[in-house]
Amino acid sequence: MLELKNVTKTFNLTGNKEDLRVALDNVSLQIESGEFVTIIGGNGSGKSTTMNILTGVIKPDKGKVLLNDVDITEMDEHQRAGYFGHVFQDPMMGTSGDMSVLENLEIAYLRGRTHSPFKWGFKSSHKKEFIKELQRFDLGLEDRLNQKVGVMSGGQRQALTLLMATIRNKPTHKMIKRDYIKFSEKKPEVARKEFDDIYLPALEEYKRQLKNLKHLPKEIRKDKKAEFYEEFDKKVRQFDLTKQILLLDEHTAALDPKTAKKVLELTDKIVKENQMTTLMITHNMKDAITYGNRLIMFHMGHIIYDVKGEEKQKLTVEDLLKKFDEADKKAEQE
Amino acid sequence: MDFVNILFNILTSGLPCCLLAIGVFLTFRILDFADMTAEGSFLLGAALTASLIYNHINPFLATFLGMIVGAGCGLVTGFLNRILKIPKLLSGIITLTASASIAMLIMGITTPGQIFYSQVPLSLSSHQTIYSVFYSSKISASLAPFPWNKLVESLVMIVIVGIMIVTVYYFFGTEFGMAIRATGMNEKMAKSQGINTNISSIACVAISNALIGLAGALYVQDALSVSTVSATGYLVIGLASILIGEAIFGKRSFKNWLLSVSGGALLYFVIITIAIKLGLPTELMSLLYAILITIALCIPLFKLGINKLKTKLERGKEHVRT
Repeated sequence: MLELKNVTKTFNLTGNKEDLRVALDNVSLQIESGEFVTIIGGNGSGKSTTMNILTGVIKPDKGKVLLNDVDITEMDEHQRAGYFGHVFQDPMMGTSGDMSVLENLEIAYLRGRTHSPFKWGFKSSHKKEFIKELQRFDLGLEDRLNQKVGVMSGGQRQALTLLMATIRNKPTHKMIKRDYIKFSEKKPEVARKEFDDIYLPALEEYKRQLKNLKHLPKEIRKDKKAEFYEEFDKKVRQFDLTKQILLLDEHTAALDPKTAKKVLELTDKIVKENQMTTLMITHNMKDAITYGNRLIMFHMGHIIYDVKGEEKQKLTVEDLLKKFDEADKKAEQE
Repeated sequence: MDFVNILFNILTSGLPCCLLAIGVFLTFRILDFADMTAEGSFLLGAALTASLIYNHINPFLATFLGMIVGAGCGLVTGFLNRILKIPKLLSGIITLTASASIAMLIMGITTPGQIFYSQVPLSLSSHQTIYSVFYSSKISASLAPFPWNKLVESLVMIVIVGIMIVTVYYFFGTEFGMAIRATGMNEKMAKSQGINTNISSIACVAISNALIGLAGALYVQDALSVSTVSATGYLVIGLASILIGEAIFGKRSFKNWLLSVSGGALLYFVIITIAIKLGLPTELMSLLYAILITIALCIPLFKLGINKLKTKLERGKEHVRT
């Protein structure tokens, strides 16, 4: 669960007191895991600021950001990156133009991990997985793995960014333990003990199984080893709490209508397949209604409308426009 | 023999500058950081190595320490820029300014009773360098006038430069190396992909200046003297090498780019040597540097012009045919 608690953010770009601009005014928001939230609102209403506060690009003046009830307000952007996938409006922003498709994907695969100066950055096992993922996109990117991203079209780059934001290397056992202790509802000591109670015997057993394999011929040994590892791995993975949250900041705004539609459909497909918690900012009210299962409307740093489930499905563009007008009138009266 | 001598002169002065060029390349091109520290770390690397050798410390250790002091300069610049948020150009200039005094302080250890000193003269008869370790007076005498010692020197340099190029190539293919490249190309993306851009930037500047410090150490053991005045102008040489190398050998892949830059450094010294042989007075050297850089920067434009001319000519031919 992702939560904003009484968040306030004021921008003061010139240092002049009269130029203060309140981007978010005491905003609280709770997003359950698995929700696909579409966010609409005028320019400067605080949509992007909300997203940037969630990912840690900017820090709030007041208030807290909670992930699974753990305060992450003070965590830096790169420390949180393992939990968030962020797609920006500008297609140039999310990829590195001078690096190849493969290199970009490897960077994404390392998200949330330490970057070792001794481990080689490319692994052939990853490459197979990337090709498999890229084939689903049907943009011909799988044949252009070694091409620089800079020569590709905006649509292709944005699709790649989307993949980079959603692809995730399986967390290591160490990471699972760290996140379990941090984000489970139990007390840290309890969580640690619980993890170790399962992990240590499993590891012990796996080692024992490996020992027994020694006398077997090489080919069988390899298969058996993989089998045993899978069994061991499965026991540890049940503790895997961290699910990626996908943040989409008008990610189709800079694309032509046809490509935009394609990227949106891809987004929807990926989100549904992986049951990802997703926040999507859009200026297209039709998209905001069509996609997702919750809709939030921002206006001048406040959330003025929040609708879920069936009620959301009944919404029409006219309803939303009416809401905007009401909000505008109310603001004028004040 | 004149040609052989010239060749070895180019090699012995060009090879240290390969490392210098790669060092400047790492900040200038990979990290997109106009790093003025280069000048300072070159001087400090040269000064420290010379001073240590003057005091009869193992030349290999001295060279290594020259490299470390370069890395130290880079760390300071990186710290100024990333942690204290001083603009890139200024933080380099700050380190560069400080390094002149520190170099004099270091060179002061060569003269008893002095705290500061502005130069260190070495002599092969009393001091051992990483090249002179491998000299052999017997072979040298029997092969005279062939410059055997220069050959040995070039070989030692080639080995060191080769090792460094391979190391840099592999390092930038590791996970951390890729993180550094991503930081230089798109910092916003790097951050959102979980890269600690402060650490990767500072590390890159440090590595870059370590190479430049090593270049200084190699240079001083060839030139056998260093002073605060003689070790200047090297940033320009590094930049010129990058531009010449890119324009002539291309930058298709990282490997190609790295080799182009080192090739550029050698080519640069070929041009300079030819200019001197043609009788260009040394006072005009700076002018030549400036012209060289301008030409190297304009080569893409020339290429474009030639292509345009070609298409024009072809069109003209078609016109005649029809």
